[in-house]
Amino acid sequence: MKNPATLVPTPTPPLEEAESGATTPADDAALWYQDAVIYQLNVKAFLDSNADGVGDLKGVTSKLDYVKELGVNTIWLMPFYPSPLKDDGYDISDYHDVHPQYGTLDDFKEMLSESHKRDLKVITELVINHTSDAHPWFQAARRAPAGSPERDFYVWSDTDTKYAGTRIIFTDTEVSNWTYDPVAKAYYWHRFFSHQPDLNFDNPLVLEAIFTTMRFWLDMGVDGFRLDAIPYLVEREGTNNENLPETHAVIKQLRAALDSSYKNRFLLAEANQWPEDVREYFGDGDECHAAYHFPLMPRMYMAIAQEDRFPLTEIMQQTPEIPASCQWTIFLRNHDELTLEMVTSKERDYMYSTYAADPRARINLGIRRRLAPLMDNDTDRIKLMNSLLLSMRGSPIVYYGDEIGMGDNVFAGDRNGVRTPMQWSPDRNAGFSRADPQRLYLPPIMDAVYGYEALNVEAQQREPASLLNWMRRMLAVRGSSKAFGRGDLLFLKPGNRKILAYLRIYRDEVILCVVNLARSAQPAELDLSAYKGRVPVEMLGRTAFPPVSELPYMMTIAAHGFYWLRLTTDVSVPSWHQEYLPAEDRPVLVLFDSWNSLFRDQVVPWRIGMAVQTRLRFEAEVLPRHIETQRWYSSKGTVIKRAALFDYAMWEQGTFTWMLPLVQLEGPADSVYFIPLALAWEDREEERFRNLSTAAVARVRQQAEVGVMADAFSDERFCRAILAAIGAGRTLRAGAGNIRFTPTNAFAELAGTDLAELPIGRPQAQSSNTIVAVNERLFLKGYRRIGIGVNPEFEVGRFLTEVAHFPNCAPVAGAVEYVGADGLTRTLCLLQGHVSNQGDGWVYALGYLQRYFEQWRASAQAPPADAHGVHVALIETLGRRTAQLHLALATPGADAAFTPEPLTATDAATYRQQAQKEALETFGMLEGALQQLGGQALDEARRVLAAKAQLMALMEAGGTAISGARKTRIHGDFHLAQVLVTRNDFVIVDFEGEPGRTFDERRAKQPPLRDVAGMLRSFTYAAASALRDAAQTPEEEALLAQPAREWLEATRAAFLRGYGREQGQGQGGGAPEQSHGAGSLLPLFELQKAFYELRYELNNRPDWVRIPLAGILGFIAPARSGASPATKGE
Amino acid sequence: MERIDVMLEPVRAFLIEIGAFLPRLAVALLVLVVGLLIAKAARFALQRGLRAINFHILTQRAGLDNFLQQGGSHIDTIGLLGLLAYWVVMLAALIVAFNGLGLTHVTELLSRVMLFVPKLIVALLVLVFGLYFARFVSNVVITYCSSAGIRDAAALGRLVRYAIMVFVGIIALDQVDIGGTIVRDAFLLLLGGVMLALALAFGLGGRRWAAAQLEHWWPAPNRDKDL
Repeated sequence: MKNPATLVPTPTPPLEEAESGATTPADDAALWYQDAVIYQLNVKAFLDSNADGVGDLKGVTSKLDYVKELGVNTIWLMPFYPSPLKDDGYDISDYHDVHPQYGTLDDFKEMLSESHKRDLKVITELVINHTSDAHPWFQAARRAPAGSPERDFYVWSDTDTKYAGTRIIFTDTEVSNWTYDPVAKAYYWHRFFSHQPDLNFDNPLVLEAIFTTMRFWLDMGVDGFRLDAIPYLVEREGTNNENLPETHAVIKQLRAALDSSYKNRFLLAEANQWPEDVREYFGDGDECHAAYHFPLMPRMYMAIAQEDRFPLTEIMQQTPEIPASCQWTIFLRNHDELTLEMVTSKERDYMYSTYAADPRARINLGIRRRLAPLMDNDTDRIKLMNSLLLSMRGSPIVYYGDEIGMGDNVFAGDRNGVRTPMQWSPDRNAGFSRADPQRLYLPPIMDAVYGYEALNVEAQQREPASLLNWMRRMLAVRGSSKAFGRGDLLFLKPGNRKILAYLRIYRDEVILCVVNLARSAQPAELDLSAYKGRVPVEMLGRTAFPPVSELPYMMTIAAHGFYWLRLTTDVSVPSWHQEYLPAEDRPVLVLFDSWNSLFRDQVVPWRIGMAVQTRLRFEAEVLPRHIETQRWYSSKGTVIKRAALFDYAMWEQGTFTWMLPLVQLEGPADSVYFIPLALAWEDREEERFRNLSTAAVARVRQQAEVGVMADAFSDERFCRAILAAIGAGRTLRAGAGNIRFTPTNAFAELAGTDLAELPIGRPQAQSSNTIVAVNERLFLKGYRRIGIGVNPEFEVGRFLTEVAHFPNCAPVAGAVEYVGADGLTRTLCLLQGHVSNQGDGWVYALGYLQRYFEQWRASAQAPPADAHGVHVALIETLGRRTAQLHLALATPGADAAFTPEPLTATDAATYRQQAQKEALETFGMLEGALQQLGGQALDEARRVLAAKAQLMALMEAGGTAISGARKTRIHGDFHLAQVLVTRNDFVIVDFEGEPGRTFDERRAKQPPLRDVAGMLRSFTYAAASALRDAAQTPEEEALLAQPAREWLEATRAAFLRGYGREQGQGQGGGAPEQSHGAGSLLPLFELQKAFYELRYELNNRPDWVRIPLAGILGFIAPARSGASPATKGE
Repeated sequence: MERIDVMLEPVRAFLIEIGAFLPRLAVALLVLVVGLLIAKAARFALQRGLRAINFHILTQRAGLDNFLQQGGSHIDTIGLLGLLAYWVVMLAALIVAFNGLGLTHVTELLSRVMLFVPKLIVALLVLVFGLYFARFVSNVVITYCSSAGIRDAAALGRLVRYAIMVFVGIIALDQVDIGGTIVRDAFLLLLGGVMLALALAFGLGGRRWAAAQLEHWWPAPNRDKDL
């Protein structure tokens, strides 16, 4: 260490140079303080390493891991310099050393380097307004003759009447800003305590000395200074001696000195002033980098006490814009009293009566209490205040102990009540010190509520729901977005004043924060129309909310609740969401003769021209606009030029007539859609009109009557008519073909006798169909895009229901089919038995993993070895059900379409060739996409490409042993979302097969192992997706990767175990070899599936390519061979 | 020989007669055959044409087809019109044929029948359009009255419809000269009766209201207040 006295002083930059503006380039590394979350700690109170009753720097060093894990990135150390400690160290008697009770300069250096190792910035105090009266400078000054440079280090006067317009800050202890010094025989100036004489910044030697101090600490590596009491540096007669231009000139010089020799450091101004005055301390970005926003703090407390957002919105409106490189810092509590200088006297009275009913809690113009007691230890309010702190504009400061909700001691005198020892554990002295309790500088809190035995770090680390763990999570979430630190703040103005809602906007990122300030649940209507179409995603749980529309966004927020919602453009709308477009937005179609108006051969002679016009509008405008916005429209984003009627049937039932058209689209690859339509008139059938309005295709008018043309699946009567027609096995004449309603032999049993009275649910749009539930008994699925041929779902479902009697699928009750003039069949609707379920396997797996990750993250110790017991049993069941499905599909019967065929060597060779062909195609795509990939994805893609030959050889070697294996009909698109969880069992649904293939291709017989491979890949996807959702930071991802891998291995093993066992029973023990044996087809199929996924992700979601890439690499990496299916056999 | 000549003279004359008649008969038959073809073509063209302009929709809406079917007919209105057109042509052909044969009385009879057929056609058209109009007006009345909140909208609509249908029926009958004065007189009697009934109902039942209305429209202080 260099002795500071021997340092060659760098010449002080002249004022003119300092005036020339900021010299620090504003790059990301330099702007670190904008993303900072600062942890304020008192060395004295943090941890005592040498058992002397006072905390020390070694203690801080030993707890850096705790600070880092909390999720903050900056530490602010309160003064640790030599001092008489009359003002907790803010009375410094030597700027260049460490107080012996805290350790040595070497201890400090060690602490600094350990912090930097953990990517923690360290800021210290630069108290330059005053020194202690014990400082050698003051001792020299009082003895030096008046007028000498030594004397001029401080502000002297012969009278105590100078600067009369200056207020007294510590009103409780001081009566004047002047104190008579009998040695100097003069009065000296002090803005704070009388033992803290103010330095005289009119003396250039003082400034020089301060620069030396700054350099001393900056050279050591300190990342920034908090400039204590900065508005009071310079005094001028006739002013209030605060915020003087001369003071700003001094700060500019400090900044210039900092910028001239140091990079990425910062200055934080403590100026307890109104925002417009504090604004001056930023200069043009050439004074302080950051400053406290003092007035915001009491108003946060006021807003929650008054249950009104006004105090907050008002002060933020008064807050001026600051230069782009600057930043506010905000806090809830600190080592001082909760200062009420920056509120009006009425507001102060209100705050006192609310938060300091006990007069002992009041000190000066403030309240000396910690956050938790101020909030009456109400966890909801504590969390609410913290959420405000972390989401308002500025870098938040967390005061030590507030992360665990520590209490205070109002009897401790001055502001010491909030400076009690940190509560680490329930051990002696709260784990803070091993000294005798009476040696402690202050006793730890020991009461029943806040006492260290109940409230300490150790206990909260273990308790997953503790405030500490919640804070960690919040800080991790905050760290996931730069919008909190750097974004603009825009208040929304919902009608409910108890709701505070604001947007944080940074570049494309928009975060909506909604806060309920009231003690009861509150509704809110938010005008988010500027972000129409965005999908809000709650940031803590990453749950997608319904998308924003033109209408006010409705929310209900629990008492003292809050939401952080990221308004995303790339997240898909929740699958259960129903879009209710107001019918007003729909085009108007003028009819003159009901449905006939659309057909030129159905109208009276003089209306023919009009019918042709109406039809054109219907086909070229009304239908295309409707179809384009539907979820089931498969070529999303493609404009439809025309939707021509391919064939249609008119269906009359009593007074109702529906049109059942098959529509041929022009524009996207030619596709036929089924869009049954209903008409409802407003005056005649009000309720039906209202119901259909939500699914309106067009508004219609016929003479004086208005109504809607709507999707008939929303029409209860239509659905009922379909059920009745299926039951009766009717046939309906269409233009060129017939529409045939077919019941299966399970219809009577499934439908029961009271079918006509059952309530019909509202239709739910799915990705390719529309579903209407009939009283949890039946389930009408209307296909939309209609392929040629019988839909495999009907065919397979019917087979499983009528022939195989497979219990774990949704039984099929009937179908509606169109038989064209050419004899080709198209399936329009499928009627199934309703399966009451607890969601699909994908939702189950993700939910399970999220809970598991949460547990893993929150608890200190690893979960027990059999943590997945229940889950494993469930997945084994899934394996068994899958095997049973395959056996059922192989049931010998009259139907040739289902008779199993032997798997020949030629078949296996074909599969190998097909897989290799697809792999080669994928390699080509991957090479082409390399430049779009970055980071680890690029690295992994290169590794996959490098292993090309190895992978091809692997595929060549796979799938040779085929003794006794069979080809049967299979599910074809088997993954977690295709199984429904019901009472610890599974029901397998959706036998439609792989979308994107023709029905004939889907009906081909295949080895059942294809389904097994599909499910195994689905497990991998579930693990990876859950990991993506759960991990807010790369560190978390690394931490959670291990449990994710373990889960995946346990799940795969359980599934294969269940599958093998059941197959073995079904086929006399021959099958396990088939699934696990050497040369099995399974690895081949799994690899093929992974390549398929890679192609899919490259085309659709490049962000996700790492999942299939990792899957492919798993086949060649020897490290993962334990998990590879080939060696998984028992 | 001479006797034979004398005997054969009538035969010769007869043969000459026949010789003169046969070509005329042949021509007449030819005319009939051509007429048949033209008639069929006319019927086909008319039916096709009418269907192409959706005339059948009009007759369906007018309720005429339904009426015909209920009456046991197997053809619809267009079929009927086709049939009539067919017979117009056929009758024309017959007239030409018989004329050629010199059967003037038959010709005269046929031409009367033929001239009647177009009247039938016109009467049929009057019915079609008239009945459609009746339905249309009835619908308008029903829609208007129900939106105006009048309770017996459907009954009013029916009343209007039947009234127009009666008018149309009379016009059609008038067109084909059936009934003549008796239908007209019966109609006038009926209308007069209805008007008289209405006038009585209004005059007796609504005397005070009528007085008030008169007072409102035409305030006359000198008028007898006791009215």
